[in-house]
Amino acid sequence: MVRFENVGMRYGSGPEVLRDVSFLLAQGSFTFLTGLSGAGKTTLLKLICLAEPPSRGLITLFGEELATARRGELPALRRRIGVVFQDFPLLSHLSAYDNVALPLRLAGKREADYHRDVRELLSWVGLGDRMTSKPATLSGGEQQRVAIARAVVARPDLLIADEPTGNVDPEMGAKLIRLFAELNRLGTTVLIATHDRMLVEETRGREIRLVEGQVMEMRQTAARSA
Amino acid sequence: MSDTGKKTGMIAARTIMPRDKGAAPLDFVIAVMALLAALALGSSMIASRAAEGWQSGLSGRVTVQVLPPETGDVQAGLDAEVRSALSVLHATPGVAQVRVLSDGEIAALVEPWIGKSGVVAGIPLPRLIDATLAPGEAMDTAALQARLEAAAPHAVVDDHRRWMSRLQGLADTVRYAAYGILLLIAGATAAVVMLSTRAGLDAHHDMVALLHQMGARAGFIARNIEWHYFSSALLASLAGTVAAALLFTGIGSLAIVGVDAVPFLPPLSLTLSELAWLAAVPAVIAGIAWTTARLSVLSVVRAIY
Repeated sequence: MVRFENVGMRYGSGPEVLRDVSFLLAQGSFTFLTGLSGAGKTTLLKLICLAEPPSRGLITLFGEELATARRGELPALRRRIGVVFQDFPLLSHLSAYDNVALPLRLAGKREADYHRDVRELLSWVGLGDRMTSKPATLSGGEQQRVAIARAVVARPDLLIADEPTGNVDPEMGAKLIRLFAELNRLGTTVLIATHDRMLVEETRGREIRLVEGQVMEMRQTAARSA
Repeated sequence: MSDTGKKTGMIAARTIMPRDKGAAPLDFVIAVMALLAALALGSSMIASRAAEGWQSGLSGRVTVQVLPPETGDVQAGLDAEVRSALSVLHATPGVAQVRVLSDGEIAALVEPWIGKSGVVAGIPLPRLIDATLAPGEAMDTAALQARLEAAAPHAVVDDHRRWMSRLQGLADTVRYAAYGILLLIAGATAAVVMLSTRAGLDAHHDMVALLHQMGARAGFIARNIEWHYFSSALLASLAGTVAAALLFTGIGSLAIVGVDAVPFLPPLSLTLSELAWLAAVPAVIAGIAWTTARLSVLSVVRAIY
């Protein structure tokens, strides 16, 4: 699904923020990306979601080697990825409903075909009564939930999330993780960057730990619940 | 919009691009530029039409002026020379119609210079003979003058060439000045539309980047954005053009209610077919906005990975 081979990344002429990163995310896996702030988690996620090209090394995504992929092939690859990111804001002039429906519209689906799914998903994340609200009228946690709903609505092949439970209360956080686990059960490969050790230890999956831009550890996490 | 769409605030695909509240001043500027461009285009058409009118009004005609004799019975001499001149003109090949201007018409011609005071009543005025040539016929003025001099020694031929060349020069100056102004305004309008479109796109750079990151193809993003700029530029420039058309129509109405235009100048109103040409203004402006938006979006998207 995702393969990194000796990937390095630097912004401009700055220092390398990722060095010789190699790992494999198998199809249908559930992985946590951990590490201190500045360890390179966000940069790694940006490389996976095709927001940035690597400075060196090879990235293979959905069996496609990115270095040799044609530019015209990238949009289709991007549509297979659901992203929950701080750099991935909601569109301020669209309602919660329209923001969530956006990936489906980009995929060319008709409203009649996705209307029920979008409503159900928004209800599931506790925003059934806020569908017509604009992002500016939503709290930080509510915006986070809209962003998560937007990331999962098209049932992506790969879901990557940067601190997805950071802005929500523990109960909603647990509910969102259950949503990710359910998607994972249906076949979506999940990669979550988090500082939350408890979340990592309580969820069945794998952990990739980054230290100063390098992969320090890859291990199976405990599986008390999922 | 579907019923479900109404319930949830769902919007049509073309409106993924927000309609800016701050865009009104830009729309106003585009409307004003369209007004100026339409006025310049209309004026150039009027100038062009006037130049053609002046030329066709004088070409194909010859005026013979019979001056009063200095001695003898002035009136009888004038009448005799007019008759002789008429005979010569009737016998000249290519002359289709000959008409002697009446005393009233001659008095009306000199009125702008000496007024209606009646001071000319006792003064013998030259007689004027207006000869119209058959279509496509040219006149050998020198030969006609020679024949006239033999029959009527006080007859002088005027083929209006001197007057016409001056008038043509003036008409050409007016026409080229109007084209120049039209070109300047068209250039300025294009620049304003391009600048405003690019400024708007700069403000929406994050949105373009986000849609790109979500897997939207460059063409999809460009379609949404170019439609936004195309429609707002079209509406604004239509408003400006309609204002210009009303202005031209209003000036035309002044003549109807008796407010005369300046003598020698053509009417400053446009014909229906000329008014239809003004539709080119919003079409060109909207086209510029559409092209600029599309090229700008594609260049923004290409600059992103």
